Amino acid sequence: MRLIVNGASYDVVAPAHETLLVTLRERLHLTGTKLVCGRGECGACTVLLDGTSAYSCLTLTVACDGVSITTIEGVGRGDGGLHPIQAAFVEHDATQCGFCTPGQILAAIDLLGRIPDPTEADVRRGMSGNLCRCGTYPKIVRAVLAAAAPALPND
Amino acid sequence: MTKRFVTTKVEVEGREETKVVELPARDPAPWGADADLHIVGQRVARMDATEKVTGEARFTADMQLPGMLYAAILRAPIARGRVTRLDLSPALELGGVRGGVSIDDVPNVKLDGVRLFDRDIHYAGQPIAAICADSLDAAERALHAISWECEHEPHVSTPEQALHQNAPKIRPAGNTARNSPRVMTRGDVEAGLREAEVTITREYRTPVALHTALEPHGAVAEWSGGFLTVWESTQGIFMTRAEVAKAFKLPLSSVRVIKNYMGGGFGAKNGAPHSTYIAVALAKKLGRPVRCILDREGEQTDAGNRPATIQRVTLGAKRDGSLTAIKLEATVTLGIGGWLAGPARIYHEMYRCANVHSTEAFVYTNTGAMASFRAPGHVEGAFGLECGMDALARELELDPLELRRRNYAKDDQDKKRAYSEKRLDECYRLGAQRFGWGHARGEERDTSGRFRRGVGMASLTWGAGGGPPAYATVRINRDGTIEVLTGAQDLGTGARTVLAQIAAEVLGAKVSDVRTVLGDTERLPFASNSWGSITTASVGPAVRVAAEEARDSLFEAAAGMLDTDANDLESKDSEIHAKSNDKCLTIGQVCEKLGDVMIIGQGSRGPNPQNTAISAFGAQFAEVEVDTETGRVRVLRIVSVHDSGRIINPTLAESQLEGGVIQGLGYALFEERVLDERLGVSLNPTMHDYKIPTIADVPKIDAFFVDGSDTAANHTGAKGLAEPPIIGTAPAIANAVAHALGVDVTEIPLTPWRVLEALTTS
Repeated sequence: MRLIVNGASYDVVAPAHETLLVTLRERLHLTGTKLVCGRGECGACTVLLDGTSAYSCLTLTVACDGVSITTIEGVGRGDGGLHPIQAAFVEHDATQCGFCTPGQILAAIDLLGRIPDPTEADVRRGMSGNLCRCGTYPKIVRAVLAAAAPALPND
Repeated sequence: MTKRFVTTKVEVEGREETKVVELPARDPAPWGADADLHIVGQRVARMDATEKVTGEARFTADMQLPGMLYAAILRAPIARGRVTRLDLSPALELGGVRGGVSIDDVPNVKLDGVRLFDRDIHYAGQPIAAICADSLDAAERALHAISWECEHEPHVSTPEQALHQNAPKIRPAGNTARNSPRVMTRGDVEAGLREAEVTITREYRTPVALHTALEPHGAVAEWSGGFLTVWESTQGIFMTRAEVAKAFKLPLSSVRVIKNYMGGGFGAKNGAPHSTYIAVALAKKLGRPVRCILDREGEQTDAGNRPATIQRVTLGAKRDGSLTAIKLEATVTLGIGGWLAGPARIYHEMYRCANVHSTEAFVYTNTGAMASFRAPGHVEGAFGLECGMDALARELELDPLELRRRNYAKDDQDKKRAYSEKRLDECYRLGAQRFGWGHARGEERDTSGRFRRGVGMASLTWGAGGGPPAYATVRINRDGTIEVLTGAQDLGTGARTVLAQIAAEVLGAKVSDVRTVLGDTERLPFASNSWGSITTASVGPAVRVAAEEARDSLFEAAAGMLDTDANDLESKDSEIHAKSNDKCLTIGQVCEKLGDVMIIGQGSRGPNPQNTAISAFGAQFAEVEVDTETGRVRVLRIVSVHDSGRIINPTLAESQLEGGVIQGLGYALFEERVLDERLGVSLNPTMHDYKIPTIADVPKIDAFFVDGSDTAANHTGAKGLAEPPIIGTAPAIANAVAHALGVDVTEIPLTPWRVLEALTTS
């Protein structure tokens, strides 16, 4: 089968029970997507499937034929600059150990795609599927709201 | 110069140890509160944030080496018994499986008193064997093919069972720890109780809490020509190296331990765990690199926990609130092993009282061992003490903050020594002001409606002085970029950034020109484990000394180029400027002219001041809303104010405070390992069933510091601040719940069920 990850296509032979998380990490060596709980409880493995966030640990690779998959490695502008959400995470110190951060950023991209001008309550609700043990939550709220603000006009 | 070796006292996680220290070559004057600093104290962005937001940060669990194999661990499903038969061969015959190890294939190492792969089963989750395969999937499936049997023997789940006369023997020496009970006493507590005009007695209970770091414990091991490299998710690269070298009988120089990024530690990752020995043994046996990372269930059952406590507290006071007696009888459930992190110390430290007596029984059970967990002992102790203080305040009809102020401890009473500095009074004042304590507490409260609000507070203290030994090297490259090299660890705390700021400050360099290199035993000078909130206060001064030495060499080299003397020079923004003739060169220009002469500064951490207690202090204020129909507690806001000496980077420090408060909130409301006592097996070893706070649970947190610099602590003036914010959060919330409902709160977590029970029994 052919996987399209971050715009590049990969021919992959994966057993029927293999999760997208394992394929990404162990076959494609895209290790920014993290394994934490392995059962859809924490959000560290969040990726975008055709632009919508999904837990890659609960997604079977064989179900992704023809789906456009975005991982953290595919986030950011072509010139090597950071995506506005990544930049906001840096600016607002919305990362401590950093293990949950890729998943948080993909969840935030999904959230702002659906709700470009979120309230704080929207952010808390939209990001509540992504756990962080260091407790960066207050900074994540700030970063996501800040990233939303300049994106409003014509971005 | 002649080296001098002296001894000094260093406090780590409540344990004071005597350390040998080599006096540093220089002892700079302390940076006082009004020191003219340009980079220290600034909100410099976290230096590794870009790697983290792009997913480029490579964690141990992400390591992939050519030919690398994956290990999976077979664990005991029963709490006590014996493996009667174990045959790995059916598993080894499966496709993709490359090998396995059991007790005969590994060194005789004991973790928490239990030998690795012991045939005697001491707790559910104990490793029995491990399988190694081409993929993790193949390794995990092969575990099911192992042919084995075990026999169950009676086990012990609770301290009550462990102390029963007919209890099975949990450890060879018995069911309590060697130095248990630990008794600490000051004055005469019975006389103090006789003197008291008011006394309260309560029994408080705290749960087993799990660290739940997102990156589990784990290692990747690779052998090459007799040399061993271990990538490890660890708070202590040098401790891990020492333990691995000892187990595999290797010289220290043959073992390299690397930790660049790690997905959280919180105290549980301080030496080599099972997974490390398994990875190293398998890699040795199979001649290929091996990755062994715990799965989530392994992490939640066999990677440490905050032990449960029962605290029977009696407080005696005069009518004016002055304490006459503090008495504690505590039971701490260690699990199968661990160290004596007890709740008593904060009872001895927090308040002025002539008569304090504590007894702590440390009891073994057939469950996974405890491990240090962010402010071990003090988090548990603060719950009992601070809830007790509120119960006493109610009895005295005194404002709880006023009661604490009336019992202000000016010095370290047990050890009869002064504090280097103590500004808890300022924390009380500023915290109460920002929270609006007087108003909130004095308000008439609705005590009949469904939703009831209340406010509560708690004090905290933590030994956070750090100390030697810690070494750092500062070197300046030919292009003027600067590297700070030290074998410390950044767990996500911000140490990397903070240490670069100190070097940049001293060298007058742009902070963007400085890079901190951490976490590699082969290439970096020693620094101790990053535990006990000690890294900034331990390594920071060493970096300062190293940077001063480098600056002196740099200025000496620049002086000739700028036609002046070294003492005429000053540097700022990476430019060296001669005051007398206004000539100027960048650090890069000076180094370029030097060619391949490398400016190197060496620094070390000097001794701590004699007979002085160095502690951080703080106060937590919380407002809650309780739904009396469902029992649900919602925390509305928290004010968390801290005295941690000089703050090197306020943004990163505030992030630490918020993180500690949020973990404290989880401890107060949700977090509890639930054990099936009949089976001795954890019922919630997943992240869905063991509840840590989500972003939706987090209230407005106003976390800040009192300004200052503790110049008696060390010459940077900084104290530790990672652990203090988790201390006191739970009792502040519990006291707010008690205030809202007008009932005693004696047990956490405050799940809806417990809140409803407290309402019915009151």
